[in-house]
Amino acid sequence: MTVREPLLKIENIVKRFGEVVALDHCSFEIEKGSIAGLIGPNGAGKTTLFNVITGILQPEEGHIFFKGKEITGRRPHEIARMGIGRTYQIIRIFPKMTLLENLLVVGKERGEAVVEKALQLLERVKLYDKKDEYASDLSFGQQKLLSLAQVLMLDSELILLDEPAAGINPTLQNELMELIHRLNEEGKTFIIVEHDMKVIANHCQKAIALNYGQKIAEGSCSVILKDETLLEHYFGR
Amino acid sequence: MGKKFERTQIIIGFILFMAFLISIPFFASDYWMTLLVLILIYTVYASGWNLFSGLTGYTNFGLAWFIGISGYLSSILIADYQWFWLLAWPMGGLLVSILSMGVGYILLRIKGVYFAISMVALTEGTRELFGTGYLEPITHGGKGIPFVAGIRLPTLYWSILFLAFATVFICYKITSSRFGLRLVAIREDEQAAETLGIHTTKEKIIAFALSAFLVGLGGAIHCTYQNYIDPNYAFNIQLTLTPIVMTLFGGIGTVFGPVLGATLFTFIHEILWAELTLLYMAIFGAILMILILFFPQGLLGWMKEKGILPKIRKI
Repeated sequence: MTVREPLLKIENIVKRFGEVVALDHCSFEIEKGSIAGLIGPNGAGKTTLFNVITGILQPEEGHIFFKGKEITGRRPHEIARMGIGRTYQIIRIFPKMTLLENLLVVGKERGEAVVEKALQLLERVKLYDKKDEYASDLSFGQQKLLSLAQVLMLDSELILLDEPAAGINPTLQNELMELIHRLNEEGKTFIIVEHDMKVIANHCQKAIALNYGQKIAEGSCSVILKDETLLEHYFGR
Repeated sequence: MGKKFERTQIIIGFILFMAFLISIPFFASDYWMTLLVLILIYTVYASGWNLFSGLTGYTNFGLAWFIGISGYLSSILIADYQWFWLLAWPMGGLLVSILSMGVGYILLRIKGVYFAISMVALTEGTRELFGTGYLEPITHGGKGIPFVAGIRLPTLYWSILFLAFATVFICYKITSSRFGLRLVAIREDEQAAETLGIHTTKEKIIAFALSAFLVGLGGAIHCTYQNYIDPNYAFNIQLTLTPIVMTLFGGIGTVFGPVLGATLFTFIHEILWAELTLLYMAIFGAILMILILFFPQGLLGWMKEKGILPKIRKI
């Protein structure tokens, strides 16, 4: 019997900023094809964890495996090309480029194929009509969609989303979550950092809770949300 | 149909313009040819600077280093080893572009004012070094190298015309390519570019080395044109500042902004210098201030903003 390799495996990750321990022996696994929620109060280490996974920060200890291969210590662009894409909490698209250029710059395909793919993705996030406008002219929510489309241009298998639903109107929020579910059905795996527990409860199969850089709980959403210690940490009860 | 017609018109206009420029030595005086040579040299400097700094946002204050290193190698080859000028020039360009890869590998990790200052320090340090006794057997020290390359003014004019055309053409091709987009992405948000799979270090070094090569070729021709080189002249901070001001004047990050900037700037400079010798620096400064205040995007950027020119990267 073969043990199924997890898509992402985090092993005993430690990340310090001087005296502060941002990630404290953090370990967990993400199965292929899942949508996992990453929760915890401000400063719990969620974004730091994303930065460590994508290679922006180097951990002091521990290992990260993606599809069975160690990626700890690799440069961000290498990790991105191996199949891990991310969006940022503060949107970081390229404002003085058109929408189409924002996607073309990411693509690896040659010739017309890349344009075709970019246009299809713009169609998919309903921004096709604005393809020649500067990204800076989009609304906040539309910029989030563009940012997701950039990641899709990379063909990432694993997509890390940092607060995708925050700050956008409910209609767009629903549209975005629906898109995430459809992409999930197509085989993409997601880790979502989110403050809104409703979003986590409604959309994630599994949740991982962090506090002070430590994993304090992991399990199905219904269990996590009932967990007393977690709620204590989270809501200060 | 209309678009195709327009394209044909542009191509015909361009061919006529080039034919005019190529034929200039047959009827123009040496004065005009000299002025054009200067414009073309500064077009190469400004376009070459813009190719790296305008696109990536890394402000390179070491343009004189590109010019000086290449100028020295080519001048030494011509003066001391009797090389033919056409072979000596590319050697200068090649040397500085190879050295710039090493420099870029180290310095292109630091951003903003730190990168700018480091490049100034590199230029000043090299200028000092080239004037010392240690390198005197090679560089002839501070007294400089006067030399005659045996090239006539028309030939020099055609050479620099060809280089300026090639430089602008390369800038045009790059700006409208995905390589150019990747460079702009670095300017917009380098970390985001990196997490989107762009090897930012590699892209920056390629652009830096290409900029060094083109500017270096310009520097080699410039020194041959002056028939002289010494450290204070070849690594002069003016050689860095003037092309930067020209680029800002014409439109940073655009294809034809540096060309426009270099042309107008050299003309204004020449007229003021000839007509108002005593006041020219003051008037020049005032014009610059007005331009920076009212046209922060440069002339071309302003024209794109106002809709006089289309807002596309190819211009």
